[in-house]
Amino acid sequence: MATVNPIPDSTLAADKTAADLLVLVTAMAPEHFRGVLANLASAFSHESLIVATQNELPAGAQSSLRIVATPQSTAAWSIKPVDFLNAAQYGREHGAQAILILGPEADSLSPLALRSLADAVLRASIDLAVPHYSLPSHASLINSAILYPLTRALFASRVRFPLSIDLGMSPRMAERLAGTAERVSAANQAEALVWPVNEAVVAGFAADEVDVGSRAMPQPSDPDLNSILALVTGSLFADIEAKAALWQRPRRPPAIRRPTVEVEPGDGTADVARMVAAFQLANANLQEIWSLVLPPNSLLSLKRCSMLDPVAFRMPDGLWARIVYDFLIAYRLRTINRGHLLGALIPLYLAWVAGHINVMGAGTPAERHIEAVAAAFEADKPYLVARWRWPDRFNS
Amino acid sequence: MQNLADNTMQQATQSITASPLYSEDVSIWHHMSEALHQSLYRVLTLLIAVLPGILAFFVALLVFALAGMLLSWVLRRCLTWAKFDLRVARKSGTEWAPTSSPTEIVARASFWICVLLGLVIGVSAFDTSYATGAPLPISLLPYLTHAVGAALLLIAGVVVARFLARSVLISAVNAQLQYARVLSLGVKWLVLVLTAAMVLDHLQVGGNIVELAFGILFGGIVLTLALAVGLGSRDLVSRSLESHVEHTGERTHNPDEATTVSQSIRHF
Repeated sequence: MATVNPIPDSTLAADKTAADLLVLVTAMAPEHFRGVLANLASAFSHESLIVATQNELPAGAQSSLRIVATPQSTAAWSIKPVDFLNAAQYGREHGAQAILILGPEADSLSPLALRSLADAVLRASIDLAVPHYSLPSHASLINSAILYPLTRALFASRVRFPLSIDLGMSPRMAERLAGTAERVSAANQAEALVWPVNEAVVAGFAADEVDVGSRAMPQPSDPDLNSILALVTGSLFADIEAKAALWQRPRRPPAIRRPTVEVEPGDGTADVARMVAAFQLANANLQEIWSLVLPPNSLLSLKRCSMLDPVAFRMPDGLWARIVYDFLIAYRLRTINRGHLLGALIPLYLAWVAGHINVMGAGTPAERHIEAVAAAFEADKPYLVARWRWPDRFNS
Repeated sequence: MQNLADNTMQQATQSITASPLYSEDVSIWHHMSEALHQSLYRVLTLLIAVLPGILAFFVALLVFALAGMLLSWVLRRCLTWAKFDLRVARKSGTEWAPTSSPTEIVARASFWICVLLGLVIGVSAFDTSYATGAPLPISLLPYLTHAVGAALLLIAGVVVARFLARSVLISAVNAQLQYARVLSLGVKWLVLVLTAAMVLDHLQVGGNIVELAFGILFGGIVLTLALAVGLGSRDLVSRSLESHVEHTGERTHNPDEATTVSQSIRHF
């Protein structure tokens, strides 16, 4: 990793001074970095803040903020393990009371949102403050379909965006995440994902979410759904497998999440027919593989679904929860190659997305449907626990 | 009278001793008995010559199997103590896909390698013992070793064929190719035919006929697949080319419309 210092010497004089808040800004384009600096300057007093970043100050830009240089790394669409390591290290060096990590395109976060994230840690004694974004209803669908419901059901967390790209952390949370990131980095998995909410729950730290309004979400450089779904879902499944001893214990359901502002649904009808066609094609061809993973009841339900018209297509919430749980079990048992397993999940996920769009088209708010899906995951958790413990008992 | 009686008796005795039938019966039984004794002797000699070899084979197999069990047990304990599974999981992430844990696989592999080693050494000992003890050379043993190699080739080929067929099937379905199953079956049979040819070649069965048949069959499958894909997706290719001509520069990377992020749908 290169260690070029992109920051002018004048800003380095304050490197070792203490600050209440350390903000780690990950690699991003210069125009976005300029916006982030402006928002930080208007949100916080300059004395209480230190910015750690690898980004160069845009040409001609002057900032009164104290900036320290971090080692160079490549830009990414998620928070990388090295970012957690840097956050903990610089937070420790500067004695920060709270640490913010801001991901790519964080300039779309308002100063108020930044302030709220920091205050949650500094004033509300929250160890992990996770932003709650107001995104369009057709955005972040992997999160809505799999990440949020699974995290909520297994780890009893209401955090709507478990794989958030901005975070507020207490020093001990930062150290904990740095430890996890170090283990991941030591295994040469520079692109691996760290699941902060799961870590906070395991450590018994307080985690909460903060409404931050809308945000531009960076997209992965490779837009191929096959690779994104396999990476994200595979990583979450692996994390769930590693923390099995914790989530199998009965946990108190989390408090009701505060209602959020509903956003206008976009026009997704053009995609529905194509996604349903993809599901129908898979249903005709992948029976051999699905039958290794799914029980006969689920296969029968999928067959019924495949006969529906695209306009009337629905994926029942209970069926979707059962499918994800069965795939999680198969992932754990290595029933088939894990790459094949996650590949076979894609058409089912597309079917869920098609059903979700139709549900929204029928007038049901997106958030209400996603909450219903998450509730179905919670209700079916005993099935997962039972099959996790006694996998040979193939439930029908 | 007395003389007459003596003469009669003498003639009768002579006629009995000179009887040709009685003499032949004795000779046949004698020869048969001798032949059977010689056969039995040869069989026993052969058995005695082979017995040490068989004993050596089983002793070698038993010793190496026991050594394999011991090695497997030691490895399992050591790797469990060193948290090998956890390390491999961290190292390989989601890529580690076999059904058993890494520790289990290493332990089992060490056991079976020892057994295989015992088998090879046993066969070698048997071969040596038999060759020195027997007057005739044996031609079955080299063929047996070839058969073991061929069996391993066959198993590997079937496993690879199955893996590749599944990979192709899933990728083709996710790319919304209508002929996904045909493509998958084609790949599977390509690998199986290749494996069969390799196995027969390894067994030295058929010679040039197998090579020729393999070439024809392999080429036939490839041609069939090419025709199936070419004819089946003719419209798709035409549309793709037209679209490319019309929208040059608009779409930089869109190999698969079904699995890419569209404007309205954002998966992440």
